[in-house]
Amino acid sequence: MNRAFNILVGGVSALLISLFIVLLVGMALELWQQTSLRAPHFSEILFAARLSLYTATLASVIALAVSIPVAYAFSRYSFPGKVLFDTLLDLPIVLSPIAIGALLLIFFNTGLGKQIEAWFGPFVFEVRGIILAQFVVIVGLSLRLLKETFQTIDVEYENLARSLGYNRMQVFVKVVLPMARRGLLAAFLLIWGRAIGEFGATVTLAGATTMKTETIPVAIFLNFESVDISSAIVFITILIAMSFGILFFVRKTEAYVQ
Amino acid sequence: MSDHVRLAFLLALLSIFFGCAEAEPDASDSLTLFCGSASKPAMELITARFQRETGVEVNTIFGGSGTLLSQIELSGQGEIYLPGSPDYILIAEKKGLLVEGSERIVAYLVPAIVTPAGNPAGIHALPDLARPGARAGMGNPESVCLGLYSVEILEANGLLEEVMENVVTFGGSCSKTANLAAMSKLDAILGWRVFHYWNPDRMELVHIDPEKIPRISYIPISIPIHTRDLELSRSFIDFVLSPKGLSVYRDLGYLTDLEAARALAPRATVGGEYELPEEYFASLDQLSRRR
Repeated sequence: MNRAFNILVGGVSALLISLFIVLLVGMALELWQQTSLRAPHFSEILFAARLSLYTATLASVIALAVSIPVAYAFSRYSFPGKVLFDTLLDLPIVLSPIAIGALLLIFFNTGLGKQIEAWFGPFVFEVRGIILAQFVVIVGLSLRLLKETFQTIDVEYENLARSLGYNRMQVFVKVVLPMARRGLLAAFLLIWGRAIGEFGATVTLAGATTMKTETIPVAIFLNFESVDISSAIVFITILIAMSFGILFFVRKTEAYVQ
Repeated sequence: MSDHVRLAFLLALLSIFFGCAEAEPDASDSLTLFCGSASKPAMELITARFQRETGVEVNTIFGGSGTLLSQIELSGQGEIYLPGSPDYILIAEKKGLLVEGSERIVAYLVPAIVTPAGNPAGIHALPDLARPGARAGMGNPESVCLGLYSVEILEANGLLEEVMENVVTFGGSCSKTANLAAMSKLDAILGWRVFHYWNPDRMELVHIDPEKIPRISYIPISIPIHTRDLELSRSFIDFVLSPKGLSVYRDLGYLTDLEAARALAPRATVGGEYELPEEYFASLDQLSRRR
């Protein structure tokens, strides 16, 4: 019976891993079969890679910075309408990114939206729009992950620190955050991964402008739309390599933190 | 990390996100072009030339023609709208989104059969698409204008029912339909002649008998009502339609001259509307029941 269980668990795992390997091999074969390889300009690849890294990292850092206090508040305090607000903040997780992009685009066409653009500069069809779109898409996920992290930390540690003379801020910074570091890192890893592959909200709010709002997913879309399959595959390969490299690096760091 | 350092870090982050807000450029310094992605290769060259010659910055937003129209409507922006086909101009006009009478024709689109490189299934004419076992594709006739033209051509030649039996899938846009052939997923697609020139290594062109083409389409260009500078919009369109602009389209395989298009389809009307026939819906119904 034990053997059968091991075979089942191992077999399903092997199948799942093979699925992704087969997908990658299929793509490599497709690239191999190209009679003449059309590759995008190096400057375009570099631009898209840098823009993707910059926007995804900044959106993730901001999402994490915003989520930490909000998630803490939701995991520790009770207040009227908490369930309703909690559900509202979960919405970005289930909403389709294209719907989020459309909501943002509609918002910036309202009086308040236009005023915000007048104060802070344009978001619509600009790089700032990419960061905002990615932020809105990932912030719900970030909140959900951090709430669970804070909920797993026993409140008794905080009570003890308070009884020893720490104020609330000191307790949060010196007790709660260090205990949550693994959760913070895991949350950053997941939201960064979600942000770097984000397409629907980005393309709706920031548009698909070559060498301006051209993140790697946008570049893949543009090359497919121009029926330039080899260039699209080049960008897909770069996205996979970047994502794999950084996920691998963060896993190593995670192990180190543990 | 001291509190000061933390505060400085936070301020730096905020300034990156909000602080470097550049003032919106004047209308005459820049224009926003909403460009159907099928025209990307041509428009990238044309806008670069326009920028070089006039100093006006062109922000080109690429996408599917319908998505772009939604973006124009929702953002209230745009100096130029260049969709892939005239049906989007009709929708935009109905919505009152275009400057009246601003529509011009950039290039003509002639229907053709497009096969994967080497034409492995040996498709040489429309009736070959009706051969038992042939795997064909076309644009979705209910959402892509290319699909309408395909149904019309089949209906006009008495092949609609037979070919519909062999239609394995519909493409969601012109480029997606072209990709079906480029990725060798089907024996052939009903597409535009120019698809072949988008990626000649992967697609082969099979001309349809000129007498059998009832209608040809075109790529239009027009001015959204939100334009901040009507004169600039007009001068950009003049530039695109100048010999310099049109030569870029021609070099990429487009037909910019009506006479050249007519040579490939002498009996065809240009643009206009076509309503899907009952026979098409009956074929769909039959197919779904059989499946």
